[in-house]
Amino acid sequence: MGQRTTARTRVDWQAVLAEQVAPFQAPWRAAMRQQMQLMGGVLLVIVAAAIVAGIYLNVTTRAAAIGREIQEMRVRMSGYRYLESSPDPATAPIEEMEQRIADLESQLAFLTSYDVMQQRADQLGFEEADPEDIIYLEAPGYIDHQEAVLAPPPTTVVVSADGLSPEFRQSLVDWFKEQAVEASNWRFLFSAEGQP
Amino acid sequence: MNPYMTAARETQPPSFWRYTMLGVGFALIGLLIVAQMFRLQVSPQAEDFIAQGKAYSRALHIYYPARGQIYDRWGSLLAGNTLVYEVGAQVASVENIETVAFALSKVLAEGHPEYSHAGYYDELYAVLVSALQKGTSYIPLADFVTPDELAQLQEWALRYNTMQTTSRSSTENQPSLAGLVYRPRLQRTYPEHDLASTIIGFVNREGVGLFGVEQKYNDLLAGEPVAAWVPLDPYEVANIPTMEPGGDLVLTIDRQTQAAVEEILEQALNETGASSGVIIVSDPNTGEILAMTSWPRLDLNEYWNYGEVFSDNTPFNRAVSDTYEPGSVYKVLTMAAGLDSGVVDAETVFTDGGSIEIGGILIHNWDYGAWGPQNMQGCMQHSLNVCLTWVAKQLGANLFYDYMQNFGIGHLTGVDMAMEANGRLKLPGDTDWYEADLGTNSFGQGVAVTPLQMVMAISAIANERGEMMAPHVVRSIINDGYQYNPAPQVVGTPIRAETARMLTEMLAASLENESSDALVMGYQVAGKTGTAEIPGPGGYQANLTNASFVGWGPVGDPKFLVYVWLEEPTVSPWGSVVASPVFREVVEQLVVLMDIPPDDIRRQLGNE
Repeated sequence: MGQRTTARTRVDWQAVLAEQVAPFQAPWRAAMRQQMQLMGGVLLVIVAAAIVAGIYLNVTTRAAAIGREIQEMRVRMSGYRYLESSPDPATAPIEEMEQRIADLESQLAFLTSYDVMQQRADQLGFEEADPEDIIYLEAPGYIDHQEAVLAPPPTTVVVSADGLSPEFRQSLVDWFKEQAVEASNWRFLFSAEGQP
Repeated sequence: MNPYMTAARETQPPSFWRYTMLGVGFALIGLLIVAQMFRLQVSPQAEDFIAQGKAYSRALHIYYPARGQIYDRWGSLLAGNTLVYEVGAQVASVENIETVAFALSKVLAEGHPEYSHAGYYDELYAVLVSALQKGTSYIPLADFVTPDELAQLQEWALRYNTMQTTSRSSTENQPSLAGLVYRPRLQRTYPEHDLASTIIGFVNREGVGLFGVEQKYNDLLAGEPVAAWVPLDPYEVANIPTMEPGGDLVLTIDRQTQAAVEEILEQALNETGASSGVIIVSDPNTGEILAMTSWPRLDLNEYWNYGEVFSDNTPFNRAVSDTYEPGSVYKVLTMAAGLDSGVVDAETVFTDGGSIEIGGILIHNWDYGAWGPQNMQGCMQHSLNVCLTWVAKQLGANLFYDYMQNFGIGHLTGVDMAMEANGRLKLPGDTDWYEADLGTNSFGQGVAVTPLQMVMAISAIANERGEMMAPHVVRSIINDGYQYNPAPQVVGTPIRAETARMLTEMLAASLENESSDALVMGYQVAGKTGTAEIPGPGGYQANLTNASFVGWGPVGDPKFLVYVWLEEPTVSPWGSVVASPVFREVVEQLVVLMDIPPDDIRRQLGNE
């Protein structure tokens, strides 16, 4: 009994092992392994594509956001605004800033116009001098008021080859040579021979 | 879990039919989408779809550059730009037409004559209702709205919004300014109001420059509007078109001198009872106009009053657009021609018998007197018509008119202001020229000139070089980021420098000898008065004259040339009485404003 039992136990154990291993060795199991590998590959591609798509979306979103800001600036330049809206002055287009500057210049000119200045002078107690009371004096170092210079005079632009940056004149081979020479110079400077 | 059962189940292949069906379903949907896309591409409506897509893919924007600014010679702003707003309605968004019409009619009534009439509310209401019925998307309602007015509208809009949000009732029939929109733009403004207004001109509602430099340089000042199709797709951002602002102008005008001259002219008109007048101050060395004024003047910020101010075809700027018979100031040119040609010299003596016959008519002096023997200085000092007629006869018609044409009489000066008149100089050969004209022309009758023509002609004498300088009011042009300073132009050399100096000395001595009201303490000036009868439909009108004075100085180092014309003065018809003092007042201001040293100091400085 005991012997049978022992033998049976041994045979059962092998059967169980065989049963447990069998699925891994079944033909469909091999196919499934292939399928899993395929799915893994596909998943890898999908993840890679998702990463690329994410980067693409990020870049295009930012481009679109900037594009929208530019469009809004254009609308601010030539479009209409609702009465209730309050445009952000921090993102005002250059043209709007120029409009404001022109307006401020005019306001300043009104405040310093001849009539206003005359009134202010009167209020401060200044009086117009009679011609007989005016004495001409030569004041050394006196600088007469200067005529308006609002922009530089036109200059003749002479384009010479010497004035161009080397990047526009040298070939790629020349550039490599130059870099090599420079690199050797630097090496010399930092080498023991180059130490002062 | 029972390992035996698990093992048994795992020996069977799993079922994937659900996944397969799901995959097939998605694939079918995808295929359907692709098929629909393909169908749309080849459908008969494809062209329409493409057209619709294109229509909404971009919008036309027109960018207007800021109009260039105008400065005086020291950089004080004479014409600038200020912010105004166009207010309109996005019709579909309008919630309450009554409120919109009420708000606009109320806010804009005070500052806008065009919106202040009683029926403006009804007009707005009708316009909005009509736009709503027609389905118009946008309609402009008001223009030139000031920042203060817009702020008031915005305040009302926000207040109505707050009322709506706090009210529990329906938004219908609630006051609302929803749908009102605005657009900023620049409008021309003139900080100095009417100062130098006759030189500057103005810009009308359509943005077009009228009169003065605003008209003459309109294209330069206005710049080039840029139209651009702007894509609505944010990925298709195109470059904002480069928009060059309009060019700026720096005038030769000195604001202080201009103000002084305008004040003197207004005072002179009041004191002399003249109906109008002109004063021009120029630099005879360069032709620069330092100040120029005429009456009436217009506050350029209220240019819509033009019709009232300049009624009856009154020229905007009499100095360049009005012609008149100048009278005896013209004798300066006749004498210059006589001296330069050599037919007379300073010591030539003419015996004045009180009249002279020419072309069948008798010419008399202003006082009908006979002044006896007179040298040329005496002729000018006493302004003898008979003597100058004799000089013209000595010259002969051809030479006389050659000189006059060389002086630019009868021709445009080419000044850089709009609406210049060319005057009229009848010439031998013209159907309406008679020999008698030679006589009358010699003392400034029968010839029509503008004050500016006289200034240009006499600049050849005043600068003591014989060079006639082109008059101009623009000193610099700022364009493309650079400042261009055109060089003074010599129009011609009608006389020699010696002639100019001789005549200047002669006229300076004349003023001193007759103790003229034009004399200025400390400064030697040369000049000539003029009194001209005014022609009317039936001949010259009695008791109506044009009184003029032209003078320059300081003699030896000329810095200014001043021309004065008073039209129809009532206190006295004579230029020597009404125009000479005006010249003196102008020069008294000029020598201070231009830092001109008195003659003794100048000579002293010259010796050092």
